[in-house]
Amino acid sequence: MGPYDSSIFVGSSSGSSSSSFTGKPPDQIDGLLAGAGYKVRSSELRQVAQCLERLETVMVNAPTEISQLVNDAVHYNPSDLASWVDSLLSELNQPAPVTVPGGSSDYSNLSFVDSLEGLTINQTAITDDWTEHHGAQQQQDVSQQLTVVTAMEEDSGIRLVHVLLTCAESVQRGEFSLAGSLIEEMQGLLTRVNTGCGIGKVAGCFIDALSRRLYTPQGVGSIGSSYDNEILYHHFYEACPNLKFAHFTANQAILEAFDGHDCVHVIDFNLMHGLQWPALIQALALRPGGPPMLRLTGIGLPSPDGRDSLREIGLRLAELASSVNVRFAFRGVAASRLEDVKPWMLQVSPKEVVAINSIMQLHRLLGSDPTRESTIETFLRWIRNLNPKIMTVIEQEANHNQPEFIDRFTEALYYYSTMFDSLEACSTLQEKALAEIYIQREICNVVCCEGLARVERHEPLAKWRARLGGAGFQPLHLGSNAFKQASMLLTLFSAEGYCVEEKEGCLTLGWHSRPLIAASAWQAVAEPSIPIGQRLLVAVNFQTSFKPTPLAFRF
Amino acid sequence: MAGSNEVNINESKMVVPLNTWVLISNFKLAYNLLRRPDGTFNRHLAEFLDRKVPANANPVDGVFTFDVIIDRGTGLLSRVYQPADAEEGQPSIVELEKPVTDDIVPVIIFFHGGSFAHSSANSAIYDILCRRLVGICKVVVVSVNYRRAPENRYPCAYDDGWAALKWVNSRPWLQSERDSKVHIYLAGDSSGGNIVHNVALRAVESGIEVLGNILLNPMFGGQNRTESEKRFDGKYFVTVQDRDWYWRAFLPEGEDRDHPACNPFGPNGKCLEGMKFPKSLVVVAGLDLIQDWQLAYVEGLKKAGQEVKLLYLERATIGFYLLPNNNHFYTVMDEISNFVRS
Repeated sequence: MGPYDSSIFVGSSSGSSSSSFTGKPPDQIDGLLAGAGYKVRSSELRQVAQCLERLETVMVNAPTEISQLVNDAVHYNPSDLASWVDSLLSELNQPAPVTVPGGSSDYSNLSFVDSLEGLTINQTAITDDWTEHHGAQQQQDVSQQLTVVTAMEEDSGIRLVHVLLTCAESVQRGEFSLAGSLIEEMQGLLTRVNTGCGIGKVAGCFIDALSRRLYTPQGVGSIGSSYDNEILYHHFYEACPNLKFAHFTANQAILEAFDGHDCVHVIDFNLMHGLQWPALIQALALRPGGPPMLRLTGIGLPSPDGRDSLREIGLRLAELASSVNVRFAFRGVAASRLEDVKPWMLQVSPKEVVAINSIMQLHRLLGSDPTRESTIETFLRWIRNLNPKIMTVIEQEANHNQPEFIDRFTEALYYYSTMFDSLEACSTLQEKALAEIYIQREICNVVCCEGLARVERHEPLAKWRARLGGAGFQPLHLGSNAFKQASMLLTLFSAEGYCVEEKEGCLTLGWHSRPLIAASAWQAVAEPSIPIGQRLLVAVNFQTSFKPTPLAFRF
Repeated sequence: MAGSNEVNINESKMVVPLNTWVLISNFKLAYNLLRRPDGTFNRHLAEFLDRKVPANANPVDGVFTFDVIIDRGTGLLSRVYQPADAEEGQPSIVELEKPVTDDIVPVIIFFHGGSFAHSSANSAIYDILCRRLVGICKVVVVSVNYRRAPENRYPCAYDDGWAALKWVNSRPWLQSERDSKVHIYLAGDSSGGNIVHNVALRAVESGIEVLGNILLNPMFGGQNRTESEKRFDGKYFVTVQDRDWYWRAFLPEGEDRDHPACNPFGPNGKCLEGMKFPKSLVVVAGLDLIQDWQLAYVEGLKKAGQEVKLLYLERATIGFYLLPNNNHFYTVMDEISNFVRS
């Protein structure tokens, strides 16, 4: 890209005329600011600039009080610069300056520099549909992302990775005898590497998974009983902050969504031991104005031994609720697969406000039967028809559902390397060991299984945004208060190396800059049945007129 | 003393493109919220507001990146930026630590700016700057995620820079084919420029060869108030007051701005005469209020008999290099390109 390539340059934002822009569609985003992480429409730049000026004037005049006030405010989605600046102005009770075409306000008479001696504008124009529903753009971005954090040092470790990838390629091409001999080679290499940690440990898991895929594919689906899985899940919960982060962030969002409502109903897609709910019950007990009536519907696997384990958990939670004076009712729904759950089983009442809680569950619905309508679409449709006030979605931030085996394998190798690396920080050896087995099962499913048996179909946030947007949901942004509390939680409960990041209204938990989990919140868009073309248009309009209301959710 | 606010706003608008103005003003505003008068820093809000991007081992525009843990004890991460092979296209096998194949490959260790308190190696503005460096100057870049003030004061940032230098110097896969050595340059903007100087000092004292220093609007200061500080205070996004805040946050408590970290050629400075100090390229923006300190730095190097080239950009403000929408950006890239090849 040459510096003076004027063919890229589309029109000129001329100085004094503020109303017309030559040749640019109105919702075009400034490409250079996009590279800096900000989504601002070119047509809005001037308005944003004026808001920034207004803010600065206010802050210069009364610095200490203002800083304090704005410091305490909740901030949302800093990438949307226009909204962020507007919300600060609202916080300070300053009306945003109105841009009058022809410019009667002072600021619009001042001309910004478009070209000066010594300067040339080179605005890279990208036409980006500035909603979050633009699947194609996200698709492209997503397929190119491969995030790696490495501490690989030894040559044999690097060689091992190289052979692993070659082996995966040969598996994809169906060259099974080659794959087999590569597995033998790798088992030899493993003896020269430290398999207690780092690349040696991860490689060991993947070599094992590849062997299973080659030699015993039919046995893979039934690794471990569901009872074992629950125990492993519990140890994974203790060993690292991932699930705690998920629960904490979801609870925060649910709590805020329930504000002002007296009849609330939480539907948990995977109850497990109900570890998430004591905290929410206690928070509801303490809320100003008193707790609501809380119903919890917990979905889980049927118990193999005839026990009604769901009910047992419900009873424990009921005891807790009773001890803090929260009216509480529990219902368990046993289902072998999430897609077997039907809306009537949940008995949602029209009077109550519903929160749907999905922690690492939605991806299980992505395996498809080509003869039927996509499972996930059906599922999302009936969820949306329940009109939930909020749906919290926490998913692994990984691209483990790509069509090509080698792509999934490569991604998984790097993702789980990071995951194992993060577990090294776990202080309790037994917990760490069991947590690792939990992870190994996930790896096995990603690597060995196909079709409906492959349930660990993780997809990154960008894809979920597109999918949920297309299914009639819009994002509820998680703000700086949730961010701060998640960060503080990490300092309390875990080792150095974890980080929380904000990404356009969602929060991710990462290890050493590699995101591992993404948490987002959603609500149903008002109008459910619009043809897709018009739906996008509605979403665009909704997006432009939607302003976050930070003051409403102070916690 | 800052001039009337409206005058200041108008002045800065005249010299930068609109999107640059919005970007830098946004930072100015946000940073104002983060600095507390008592010297503490709202780190949570800072991290929330900072736009970050992950590494990407798949090439984008011919550059791929990955993060490395250099020191687990301090949590020191760096991001490596490498040019993708032209023939490779979309690599099916990702070999991250593949040896560089050219005769000579300059490796730039980059220290991002942020006045010692802001930004990270994975901040979007710095990730994209490093990508542009690789693409335009044909170098490998290692961007260091050094510890920041006020939580980590002097000399933490320098310690981290030094650790990164040792790490880069010992990577076999970064060695140039010609002499099996890593060809190291240090580069940084704002506080990063300051770190460059101080890490180079340590390199000289320890015998690791640094081939050149590149300082972009480097952050220096002193107890005196210079002409440029008085003249430009508040006019182009920066105030003397905020500069003072950052020095108080970085320097050891109780120290003043004549501490050698802030004022390397001041009353407590070190004499560089006779030292085998790397050649330096110093870029000074003509509308930067600390330019007198930066020019004094250049003079200090010259007086000590060190090789230094000054690139003075008259109409440039701080942050001009963050967006490639002005001639100064390309001038600087060209200069850097030549500097690492001569």
